[in-house]
Amino acid sequence: MERLAFGAMGTRVEALLEAPPTQKARVALARVREEFERLERIFSRFIRESELSRLNEAGAIDAGRDLRVVVELALAARERTAGRFDPTLHDALVAAGYDRTFDELDEDAAPRPAPDPGAARDVIVRGRRITLGPGVRLDLGGIVKGYAADRCTRILAPLGPCLVNAGGDLAVAGTRSEGPWPVAVDVPDGRLTLAVAEGGLATSGRDRRRWRQRGEERHHLIDPATCRPAEGGPLTVTVAAPSATEAEVASKAIFLAGPRAQQEAELLGAPAVIVGGDGRTRLVGGLA
Amino acid sequence: MTDHVARLYAGALALLVFFLVWAVVAARPWADTGETDPRMKALERREQRLARESRRVNRVVERRFAVYRRRLARRRKEIAAAEAEAAAAAVPGAPAVSGAAPAPVASAPAAAPPPVAVTTSAPVTATGSS
Repeated sequence: MERLAFGAMGTRVEALLEAPPTQKARVALARVREEFERLERIFSRFIRESELSRLNEAGAIDAGRDLRVVVELALAARERTAGRFDPTLHDALVAAGYDRTFDELDEDAAPRPAPDPGAARDVIVRGRRITLGPGVRLDLGGIVKGYAADRCTRILAPLGPCLVNAGGDLAVAGTRSEGPWPVAVDVPDGRLTLAVAEGGLATSGRDRRRWRQRGEERHHLIDPATCRPAEGGPLTVTVAAPSATEAEVASKAIFLAGPRAQQEAELLGAPAVIVGGDGRTRLVGGLA
Repeated sequence: MTDHVARLYAGALALLVFFLVWAVVAARPWADTGETDPRMKALERREQRLARESRRVNRVVERRFAVYRRRLARRRKEIAAAEAEAAAAAVPGAPAVSGAAPAPVASAPAAAPPPVAVTTSAPVTATGSS
């Protein structure tokens, strides 16, 4: 098994490839790293020169293919999830204190008022042009990890079964010789392992990426209905879907369903592991 | 005499003018010049292109449909064989399979495995809040 781990997009990325240790395999794994770094240069909201930062700054740009594709995926996801997954929550995230890379967060920073949840959040993609409505800024940090994982499995897949894990958003292509890929899911009562045969798996939760803002607990999952970090509901939601991108969207949408997370997962028919606020683990969507 | 010649010339001139007018009228200079409207040309070109595309699409559809029909026939044969085998297994002493060849195990109708299941294997990686 060939393995490469590195840091990108503010998280740890791991690429596994079941193939002989040839030069081709090493080159393909190196391309995975390059692809993550390339996408980070496009999508990071912490890099001033990134294409996303330029779009947020200018309000409209002629965008490259990747930005257009991811914005369109995110808009389709917003529609599909009735607004639970929303890429336009950049300012809400900044207001919650997540205005710099996670390692540099300032816990003493003064809280800023959350944006108006009722404000219009228009994003228009027409040809190469992406236009944001007044005051709209995008944060694609979640969906782009899934997108990157999906893309990288396509780089590795010709060489053998592979798995790319971008800090929990993971994509799988092909089954290992020993069977589906076993992936551990953190649950309060020990560890649960899921065998993933194909597609993607992603976890959304408020157990990590949390910080304090003047003593108040904050996390990165913003509820579009309030434009503030979601309160109550599950602790984590892990979902399997046909791709890592879709899994990321589904996990966030189910998480943001709050107390109705389990019903939402059942409605979607998505295999999911839901760790409730009470610490209980529930398996839904055919996993039980 | 002079009047007679003058009348002759006048007659000839009148005849010439008559034929000239006839020729001009016959040429119908007010009619269409014969050039086709460029929009018509564009429409014709589009029609030809669509006809070509339509033929190509038909060929592709026919080819795919033929493949589908072949697969369907094979699949039906496999299902019939599997059903015959199951029926035979249910009747003690009956021959294992009759008629069609047994379905190969690899392509036997199996329920698609769920993409995810709980396992006890040692994990190769982990997922967590991203």
